[in-house]
This record gives sequence, C-alpha cells and structure tokens, in this order.
Amino acid sequence: MFQSTTGAGRRLILKKILMSVFVAAALCMLANPAVAGTVRIGLMCPLTGGWASEGQDMRRIISLLADEANKTGGVKGSRIELVVEDDGGDPRTAALAAQKLAAAGVVAVIGTYGSAVTEASQNILDEAGILQIATGSTSVRLTEKGLPYFFRTCPRDDEQGLAAARVIQGLGHKNIAVLHDNSSYSRGLADETRALLDKAKLNIVFFDALTPMERDYSAILTRLRASSPDMVFFTGYYPEAGLLLRQKREMGWNVPMLGCDADNNPDLVKIAGTAAAAGFMFISPPVPADLSTDRGKAFLDAYRAAYKEMPQSVWAVLAGDAFNVLVEALRHAGADSAAAAAYLKTGIGGYAGMTGTFSFDAKGDRVGDLYRLYEVNPEGVFRAISE
Amino acid sequence: MDQFFQQLINGLAVGGIYALVALGYTMVYGVLKLINFAHGDLFTIGAYLGMTLFVGMGLAGKAPVLVSVLLVALMVMGLVALLGRLLERAAYRPLRKAGRLSAVVSALGASIFFQNAVMLIWGGKYEVYPETMRPSVILSLFGMGVPLIRLIIIGVSVLLMLALYWFIDRTRTGTAIRAVAIDQSAARLMGINVDRIISLVFCIGPGLGGVAGMMVGLSYGQIDFNMGFSYGLKAFTAAVLGGIGNIPGAMLGGLLLGLIETLGAAYLTIAWKDALSFLVLILILIIRPTGILGERTAEKL
Repeated sequence: MFQSTTGAGRRLILKKILMSVFVAAALCMLANPAVAGTVRIGLMCPLTGGWASEGQDMRRIISLLADEANKTGGVKGSRIELVVEDDGGDPRTAALAAQKLAAAGVVAVIGTYGSAVTEASQNILDEAGILQIATGSTSVRLTEKGLPYFFRTCPRDDEQGLAAARVIQGLGHKNIAVLHDNSSYSRGLADETRALLDKAKLNIVFFDALTPMERDYSAILTRLRASSPDMVFFTGYYPEAGLLLRQKREMGWNVPMLGCDADNNPDLVKIAGTAAAAGFMFISPPVPADLSTDRGKAFLDAYRAAYKEMPQSVWAVLAGDAFNVLVEALRHAGADSAAAAAYLKTGIGGYAGMTGTFSFDAKGDRVGDLYRLYEVNPEGVFRAISE
Repeated sequence: MDQFFQQLINGLAVGGIYALVALGYTMVYGVLKLINFAHGDLFTIGAYLGMTLFVGMGLAGKAPVLVSVLLVALMVMGLVALLGRLLERAAYRPLRKAGRLSAVVSALGASIFFQNAVMLIWGGKYEVYPETMRPSVILSLFGMGVPLIRLIIIGVSVLLMLALYWFIDRTRTGTAIRAVAIDQSAARLMGINVDRIISLVFCIGPGLGGVAGMMVGLSYGQIDFNMGFSYGLKAFTAAVLGGIGNIPGAMLGGLLLGLIETLGAAYLTIAWKDALSFLVLILILIIRPTGILGERTAEKL
C-alpha cells in the first residue's frame, strides 16, 4: 500500500472510513428503528387459527391499556408503541413472529397463549435479550429452563394439577379416566394429575390421548365408557371438550366430566349445545365477570365502553396484567430488559393488578393460587362454585 | 359385543363422510388424471355455506327441520357445484394441454386460495351450526343408544353413492363420462362434447363434497376454515385405498378407512389410530398397487 503516503491516497482512505462509519450507522438504525421518545413493546398472539378469539381479545385489551398508559405519561416520558405479530397458534409461525419482533427492536414481548407456541419463541427472544411475559402458557417446563428474561402471569400446570386432584378427591369419585390431547400443555397436566391421584390411592381406569382438530370422537367415548369411570378428566382445549360433551350426550352417557382452564371459553357451550354442556365442571382462574379486584372491575367497565361486549376469557385479561406489570417495571427500571427483569423478580411484590396481586419467584412464575371450580349451569352460563 | 356394534356404527358414520368426499377426488382423477387438491376446501365451503344459509334465511322454527335441511342441502350442492365449475374454468382448463405437474401446482394454489378466502370471509374462529337445526334424537337399537344423525349420515351417503353409480352406469351422460375417462380424443370423435363432460364432472364432484361438508356441520356442529385439510387427506387416502378413478372403489375405501380408524382406536391404540390407517394403506398398496378395486391399466408409450 505505497499509495497511502500520497495525499490522494490518504483522502481515499479517509473517504472509505467515513463511508464505513456512515454505513454502520445506517445499519444500526435499520436494526434498531425505535425512535428516541418511544418504547416499543411487542405483542405476540394468535390472531388467526383455532385460538383466534383469544388473540383478538388480547390485542383489544392491550391496545386499550396502552392508550391509557400513554395518557398517564408512558414510560418516563416516552410514548409506548405496540408492535403486534400474529403467531397463528402455531409454533413455526411463532418462531418467525419472535424474530420479527426482535428485529423491530422491542424491549419486551407479551405472549403468547398456547404453551407449545410460546416454547418455540422462548430461545429466540432470550438470545436477543428481550423480556418475555407469557399470558396463557401453563406448561411447567417453560420456567424450568432457567431463562432469565422469561415470566408468566398465568399459573403453571402443576398448580392446576394440585387443584384438579383436590377437586376430584373432594367430589368423592374413585375410578377416574384421564384423557389428554398430546400437546405439551395437556400431556403435562394429565401426567401431573395422574401422579397425584395415584398417590391418593384412586384408580386410574383410563389414560390416553385423542387427536385434536378432529370432529368425531365417538370411538374414544365408546372406549372410555367401557372402562366405566366415575368421572372423566379431560385436559384438552374447549373445541374438543365441546365436541366430547355433545357426543357423550348423543350416546346417552351421563358420566360427570371435569375440564381444565383451557375450557374456560364460552364457545364451549355453543359447540356442545346448552343441554350437553350443563353440569360440566372445570377448574380455572376466575372468568372475567368474576374479577373481584377494584382495578379489574374498572377495567371491565372501560372495556365494555370501548368494545360493547365483555372479554371472552381470563387469558386475555392475564395478557392485560402482563402489560400492566411490564409498564410498572419499565417505569421503575427504565426501558432496559435486564433491569426490568430484575425489578419484576425483586421489586414488584404486592403490585395490584386486575386479576389480583402480583409477585414473581426466581423462576419467573407468578406466586399465589388463582384456581376456582366452575360449573356450567342449566342456562349454559359459567358459574363459580368455589372460591 | 355391544361395544363392537357401537363402534361399527361409529366407524360407518365416519367412513360415510370420507366416502362422499372421496367420490369427488376419484371422479376428477378418473376423467382428467388430476388430483384436485382444492376438493377438501370446497368441502369446507359447503360447510360454511350451509351455516350461512341456515342462519341467513331464518328457517329455524318456520319450516319443519327435515324440509329446511333438504332445501339447504340442495342449495349448497348447487352453489358448490357452480364454484367447482368456475374452478375448472379458471384453474384447470387453461392448463389442460400443459404437463400434469402444472395442473397439480395449480390445484395446490387453488386450495390455498379457497382456504384463505374462507378465513377472510367468515373469520378464523370456530363457527357453530344453529342448535335448532341439529337433530338430537337418540334411537334405541338392540339396547344401544344410537344418535339418529349417525344413521342419517350413513343413509344419505349410501343413497347419494348409489344414485351416482346408477347415473354413471346407466344413463347416456354417464356413458359419455366413462368414454371421456377412457380416451378423450376417441370420445370427441364419437361426437361427445368433452369440455361439457369435464365441466359436468366438476359439478358433481364438488357438489357431493359440499353436501358432505354440510353434513359434518349438522352432525358435529363445529366447523372451521381448516377442516378441509384433514378430511381431504383422509378422503384422498380412501380414494387411493379403493382404487383411484373407480367410483365403487371410493365408496368401499371410504367406509373401510372409517372402520379401520374406529376399530383401531377401539381395540388397539387411540393415539396411533392415524398411523394405523396409513399403515393399512401402505400394506394394501404393496399387495395391490392400484388399490382394492383399481384396474390395471397398461401405460401407453
């Protein structure tokens, strides 16, 4: 590089350096397009697919809360900007959605609903150093991986398993059939409950999985019936639970059926028909109408004023609470994932959300029991029968 | 033994639907040697149209259930047949001279188009048929509770299949369809309007698929935009099992697949029942590569 000693060569090098600085700066801006004065928060939810109604509600609730938070000062003077990505209720789509959110420069991601879907996004967000608060993903192993930026506002399956075992014993049934759908959520809950029931010396007369998204479950129901259980515990989602209830009734079989929090959706009654759904019980965190906190009631009023109806299920409300605790953490710790994560684990204790008070343990799980026992009454309405 | 008969009826009801959908695959394949991948989505559209017509015409309570179901079934059949004909005109006819692969790609494209169209028109949520339209009578047969709707499904499927078989086998138009299936240019020389026959095939197949979709809606209540995929896959399997291109073969394949699936779930394993059905398919194809009733055709060189 002899030319570098000449004046022209030096100018050339200077030009090159300037160019590369400029290009690097441009690249940085592309990679992190968040403008100063706004804080980007990602929402990943199923806007399409089988769980679309959950996702649509999640988006409605969080945009309502984001408007409110912006009116009360945003995050330390910065405006909150919501970036919504559809995960379609599908793990592959979720991985893409997580990458898009990371590229959009969000400081935290809220979501998503299904455990398997959340799992597909976990590592992507963790590697990008982005805080994630899941809202309906109850599978135990999500918080057992030791990911420092992962939290959830919903309870985990082993808490639900404990609640389920308590309810089944309380009802005095001896021969229990357990049916799951092989998804990581459903299988986890079924295994957990089976272990607890075994310990309590109850008979598990049936333990198997159905294939979700099918229409005809009569073969499985006929086989279930042949094992003559006192109660059927189904750990799958409401579309299948609705079909099972309907086809169970068509067979003229009156065995009581217990469901889990994935059945906490009024569409269950529509699918099953009121007559078939009546008497069906499930354990779940409270439905939106049963929220007893002041903040929850105020929120429901605001939601009804904005959208002329009630939110469908509690999962979407838990997404709202994820947003609330996130904003609280950002307001205290600043728009920084690591500081906000530390604040959620140590500083937020006792924060009053819409679904109750909040604190998180070292794994990122919410502390406290949310579960109640619900029954579908003869009019097809969910009614809490225990606190 | 009770359980066995109960499962037999369960299997026949599932298989009846597979058979109806399989007929659409097999007819199109027989005539055009084309697998119409959009058929499963026409089935979905049938289910949604049925729901919209039931709700939109406000038939509930005004007319007897049987009359309104029949009326809606005819309308669904007509509308989906029309759609099938349009599909043939837009997606397959321009490609008839092109290679077979182009037509298959076009079929896949049509399938994706229909699926997304349904999602955009009716939404991504589960939809439910109106309660009053869903017969919930339970008959008692030999001490077993059998829902009436299951028997209706089996009955209607068999009836439609027999009618189709009669039409293909006994009428002049049916003879023309068979002639086109064997050799299009020879059929044209005999004075058969091949384009019209192909259009007709694209009316009958989708029409039957549409009615099958409506029957699924009526009996199970719940429909979604994705339902055509799994039913389409199973029905296609049924068509191959019975011998694709062969109409009695599609009926046999459908009923057989329903029975294998149900009895497999009943006596072997529930979680592996799909794997079991496909295992049977593989075994049958190893023994008889053309399917159970498929004829061996010499490849022309």
